[in-house]
Amino acid sequence: MRFSRRFPLVPALVLVLAMFAVPVAFVFVEAAFAPEFSLAHFERFFTRSVYLTVYWNTLFVSATVASICLLIGYPMALFIVSQPVRRRPLLLFLVLVPLWMSILVRTYAWMVVLGREGIVNSALQWTGIIDQPLTLMFTTGSVYVAMVQILLPIMVVTCYSAMTEIDPGLVRAARVCGASPFAAFRRVFLPLSLEGALTGWSVIFILSMGFFIVPALVGGRRDVLLGNMIVNQIAQANWGFAAAMAIVLLVSTVVLLAFVRLVAARFLYSPREA
Amino acid sequence: MNSLTRRSLLAAVVAMPLATVGAAAQDVELTYAGSGGGLAQVMDMLFDKPFAEATGIRIKALATTDRVSAMRAMMQAGNPIWDVAELTPIDYATASLEGWLEPIDWSVADPGNLLPDDAKLADAGIAATYSTVIAQRTDKLPEGKQMTSWADFWDVGTFPGPRALQDSVMENLEFALLAEGVDAKEVYSILATEEGVDRAFAKLDEIKPHVVAWWTAGAQPVQMLADGEVAFTTAWNGRITQLKQEGVPVETVWNGGALKPSYVGILKGTKHKKESEQYISFMIGDPQRSAEFAKMVAYPGMVKGLYDHIDPAVGRELPTHPDNIGGQFVVDAVFWAKNLDALQERWQEWLLD
Amino acid sequence: MKNRLLPTVLFALGVLFLFFPILIVAPMSFSGDRFLGFPPKSWGLIWYEAYFSDPVWLAATWRSLRVAAVSALIATLAGTAAVVGLSRFSSRWRAGFTGLMLAPAIVPNVIIALGIFMLALRFGSTDSEVTLIFAHAAVGLPFVVMIVGAAYRQTDPTLEKAARVFGAGPLRAFWTATVPPLVPAIAAAFIFAFFVSFDELVIALFLMGGSETLPVRIWNDLRFEINPTIAAISTFFVIVTALAMGLAEFLRARATRRQGNN
Repeated sequence: MRFSRRFPLVPALVLVLAMFAVPVAFVFVEAAFAPEFSLAHFERFFTRSVYLTVYWNTLFVSATVASICLLIGYPMALFIVSQPVRRRPLLLFLVLVPLWMSILVRTYAWMVVLGREGIVNSALQWTGIIDQPLTLMFTTGSVYVAMVQILLPIMVVTCYSAMTEIDPGLVRAARVCGASPFAAFRRVFLPLSLEGALTGWSVIFILSMGFFIVPALVGGRRDVLLGNMIVNQIAQANWGFAAAMAIVLLVSTVVLLAFVRLVAARFLYSPREA
Repeated sequence: MNSLTRRSLLAAVVAMPLATVGAAAQDVELTYAGSGGGLAQVMDMLFDKPFAEATGIRIKALATTDRVSAMRAMMQAGNPIWDVAELTPIDYATASLEGWLEPIDWSVADPGNLLPDDAKLADAGIAATYSTVIAQRTDKLPEGKQMTSWADFWDVGTFPGPRALQDSVMENLEFALLAEGVDAKEVYSILATEEGVDRAFAKLDEIKPHVVAWWTAGAQPVQMLADGEVAFTTAWNGRITQLKQEGVPVETVWNGGALKPSYVGILKGTKHKKESEQYISFMIGDPQRSAEFAKMVAYPGMVKGLYDHIDPAVGRELPTHPDNIGGQFVVDAVFWAKNLDALQERWQEWLLD
Repeated sequence: MKNRLLPTVLFALGVLFLFFPILIVAPMSFSGDRFLGFPPKSWGLIWYEAYFSDPVWLAATWRSLRVAAVSALIATLAGTAAVVGLSRFSSRWRAGFTGLMLAPAIVPNVIIALGIFMLALRFGSTDSEVTLIFAHAAVGLPFVVMIVGAAYRQTDPTLEKAARVFGAGPLRAFWTATVPPLVPAIAAAFIFAFFVSFDELVIALFLMGGSETLPVRIWNDLRFEINPTIAAISTFFVIVTALAMGLAEFLRARATRRQGNN
């Protein structure tokens, strides 16, 4: 194949090499070879329970957040696609406008809502449902609420942009052939939109794996993610251990996403690969 | 915006001939690695601008974080892009142990001998002091009672109410030992032993169920007190005073506070060592200027005669005021620089448990 | 009617959830108090005044908008081209390259920041907006590759082939047949690349100490206090975009009405 056909990849490749691969390799090499080659940092990670606990916690929280976003975001995207084309920009706008809120401000807003003297507790106490304020803030639950609120727009828009690629004629054809609306959705639309859903899930999973500010500001003492640990190690200039954790994070995310895609491939339909 | 551009344009035009003339004589710009934000604006007004006027040396203030990592990278690259850096106790201890700081010639940096010896280290000066203290909501206290010590903070029977602590092993181990009744002078010798650390964690076990939040940013405890999220928390002393002025019923407990210096050091390999010493002198060695700074941010320096320039009502809210300093202890930076990694790991494990 | 109502209600609930922080933060931005509190004890515009009269805050805002716009543009162009380029490799190469392009989103920013800082020290390009722009472009690239990639895999290659058959050059076929159906995805990708940069804190902290971006400024202040300035900034952006959207809707409605009359 001629180079010119592959040329479109070059700018992105240069960007990733210059601003990511080379600098990060610098840190990784520093980590593994300073002062001499050693796997001590990996040994530390895999032999101390504290890091493994945080590691599993990170995977679990990320997968949960991505799944919650999918459950809420997919129907929202579906609703937008079901609307007339001229109304869609307004609906997308409603989903996107919260992105302007600084994440740091949003985490504060949750304290106002979920705090001991916050809106939810005041309302529940006023209606007499509870006597003592519930602990809603600084819990794993508040981490989920805050993270889903931040990441949900990404899911909606990713699902939406993939759904708009689906030829509405296909669904109509299924209906004409006598399929019920639900069957037409399940057999035609759903498989075609799975690509977008999977992408949205992956994007949110990846982003969640790197979160550290939100859990630190709204979470409880057990809500520590690997990102927090890495940031702490960099603060102490323990580059080696920070890099080791980053490598574990990178490898496990890539493996997990590849696995998810492999499993999902059985249900995906792509005209480009057909 | 418009007038601003016009004004800066005007300033540029006026300054131009001067700049070209002065360029040959002294065209030095010092890079100061500080904290940025509102603090940098205060420093710009009180230190940087007047210093540039007095000496012709301009200050480029950077907002920096992770200074230990940044300094290590600079030393490896052989390119110290900072001249003077603001350092937390751990930053300073690490940098000093690693040999990243220039020795300071105090005959240049403190010619009038206005700084006490404690503030003049071989490779750094103490620019400011701040304290981690107990802050209490007075309206959530039991009738006629006041918290006065760490033992009280631990006493959930007498002082019921949700508490917060910083998510930090440093200082909390000290607080736990103080709550046990250990003398402040013995805290670090006890923590140097395995049993001592066990003892501190065992004491922390007692308070753990009553701590609803483990704060990570300095603004959080202030906000949680204001919102009634917690009744008692540790906090940095500076903002509690302001909260009180806002009408929130809060009170600082100075007794048992963890006093920490904020250091300034000169990076090894700088081309402007002399100018850096001049800047440090200007920043920390003048009672009146330091007093202005302390009034604005409540983190006083150590220069002698500082309190002569401060209204007693304001002075009483500062950590180094004679009324307050007695009960506090000074955080041992070298101990923490050496033991932080191991103890932090244990702390994390303890929190997850 | 029944199956119309349920999706509408679900969508409205979703939007309400997304708007919840705005509903809290917007009133607080009109507070006359020194600290954030809800509901505010007194009202006023002092925090908007504080924001608009402070050149440091304004400079940080412009810098953030500029960095985000340029880096998102770079990421979107490079990423969209990469999606097309990737499709021309065998599946093994494609998997490898895709992995490489996604990696900047997975490796924590603090590691990337440190690495770039170490390199920049050697090239003397620390404290540079250009370095930051390219760094943010690299971090935004994965989202473009994923979002545009997902849409591209759904498009029909026969269209492009048909265009080629009818004599269009490869570039022309790409522009007229491949790109138009991808526009929603490309727009979405740009928006996310924009906000990835606009909210990015850690890389900016390492690379831009001398001239703070908005998140850096907010973070530096957070060490001491949360004052309502940040609420005012967020609310201001929401209002401005809402007005822009309203205006666009109004113009569109008028245009369609006129078309209807003709």
